[in-house]
Amino acid sequence: MNGKTLTTPAPRMETEIAPVRGRVVKSRWAFHLLTFLMVFGPGLIVMVADNDAGAVSTYIQAGAQYGTHLLWVVLLLLPVTYFIQEMVVRLGIATGKGHAAMIYQRFGKWWGLFSLADLELVNFLTLVTEFAAIDLACSNLGIDPRFGVPVAAAALITIAVTGSYRRWERITVALCLLDLVWLYLAWKLHPPLADMARGLVPGVPAGGLTGDLTFMVIAIVGTTVAPWQLFFQQSCIADKRLRYADIIWARLDTFLGACMTIAVAGCMLIAGNYSRIHGFTFEDPARMANNLMPLAGWFFRSALLLLMINAAVLGATAISLSSAWAYGEVRGWPHSLELPFRKAKGFYGIYALCVAIAAGAVLVPKAPLQLIILSVQVLAGVMLPSAIIFLQLLLNDKELLGAYANKPWNNVVNWTIIIVLFALSLILAAQVAAPNLFPAS
Amino acid sequence: MATTMNSLEVNELENRFIVIHPLDDVPEEKVDTDGLGPMPMTLSVRISLVSLRAYLVLMMLLVLYHALDLAGLFGHHA
Repeated sequence: MNGKTLTTPAPRMETEIAPVRGRVVKSRWAFHLLTFLMVFGPGLIVMVADNDAGAVSTYIQAGAQYGTHLLWVVLLLLPVTYFIQEMVVRLGIATGKGHAAMIYQRFGKWWGLFSLADLELVNFLTLVTEFAAIDLACSNLGIDPRFGVPVAAAALITIAVTGSYRRWERITVALCLLDLVWLYLAWKLHPPLADMARGLVPGVPAGGLTGDLTFMVIAIVGTTVAPWQLFFQQSCIADKRLRYADIIWARLDTFLGACMTIAVAGCMLIAGNYSRIHGFTFEDPARMANNLMPLAGWFFRSALLLLMINAAVLGATAISLSSAWAYGEVRGWPHSLELPFRKAKGFYGIYALCVAIAAGAVLVPKAPLQLIILSVQVLAGVMLPSAIIFLQLLLNDKELLGAYANKPWNNVVNWTIIIVLFALSLILAAQVAAPNLFPAS
Repeated sequence: MATTMNSLEVNELENRFIVIHPLDDVPEEKVDTDGLGPMPMTLSVRISLVSLRAYLVLMMLLVLYHALDLAGLFGHHA
């Protein structure tokens, strides 16, 4: 690769003011690598941001309660999350539009508004949980949350409103890569490899199928595959203006992101398992970090708390953007990270408003945060199957997608996923309606 | 569906490959979704979607009731 920059007028667009800028490379290998690096981003971000504050808490709790027994559930979610997001990739590249816009256009105003309302509600509640985690981690790091939370909110707004998609993406990808520290933390805990191998084989932990176990499995599924991901990645792809030729690299980006998110989730489970082995009862990740400091060291504690903040920041930027993009698409407002603030006031306003209100909510004394966290998990679990059904219908719309529509094998895989998610959603519904349905642990 | 490949021009004869970032490239022609209008849906699909919506509304009310109950609004929790 010689890294030479080439600037040529765009074909058939000689009158355009901005020329096409490209890089010249001398080998096919370098061409593919550089193309991948230019396309890389939306897939990694959507997957890693999915390991948000709620996910950190859920995976660690799963490890703290069930050891490595639920590793198989996490591993099973790798193809599930990839296949779902791969559909979004195709839809985003073929239409160049966001998911909310597609539902609005193809299913009509009524369904479009319902989907938007569902998304905005769950997103807002999830955002509150992200800031609750920042509040908790700041308190444990000795930082006053009244300082830490507004600073995090201001940073989140600043990285988005610069008028450059690339700047936002680079910062966010860097934050995503920080999550790799989880691999180091898990390795330092000397994970029990034999137990981990056994945990990869599907089975029910000792104690049988209890209400708590059912809830935990549903929480893991709900936290790994969330409705906002569909809206976020499609809008992100549309904003980045990915091309048909980029589809293979966008798929690879999504697959690598899925692998990373599942690997990191496994590491969180190992951290929880370490706490269990040493006889600690799980309350929250911050308290677990404090409990483990004498055993695992100061670095482990500080890294875990900082990774909690990182997870919350990543989740918050992705979720707020999915809300802002979706709202902008449905209202027909300019909605791109490439636009300066003055040209997309509504889009940036929604983003900033989501962040500011959620940050403010956690600073309200005696705010019912635990109730909000519970409601988020339940609502996300309930709404996910219906969100995927719209996606599935759109992906079977040959008039819309032509050659990019689902193949029969795609439909078999996707309907299987939808049926399983629906069954879990119904179990969750039954558990909320009748908490004594399953035996207590 | 048009697929413009100008974004990734390859001039293999000269052994030069040009890589263009999507944001620097000429906007590609996409599916004209505005011209397609609403998706034609059979009655069974419509009924399924309405049932799904009813289920979601019911579940939201159930979650709301459960949350308010846990908050002690109905007097069951001290």
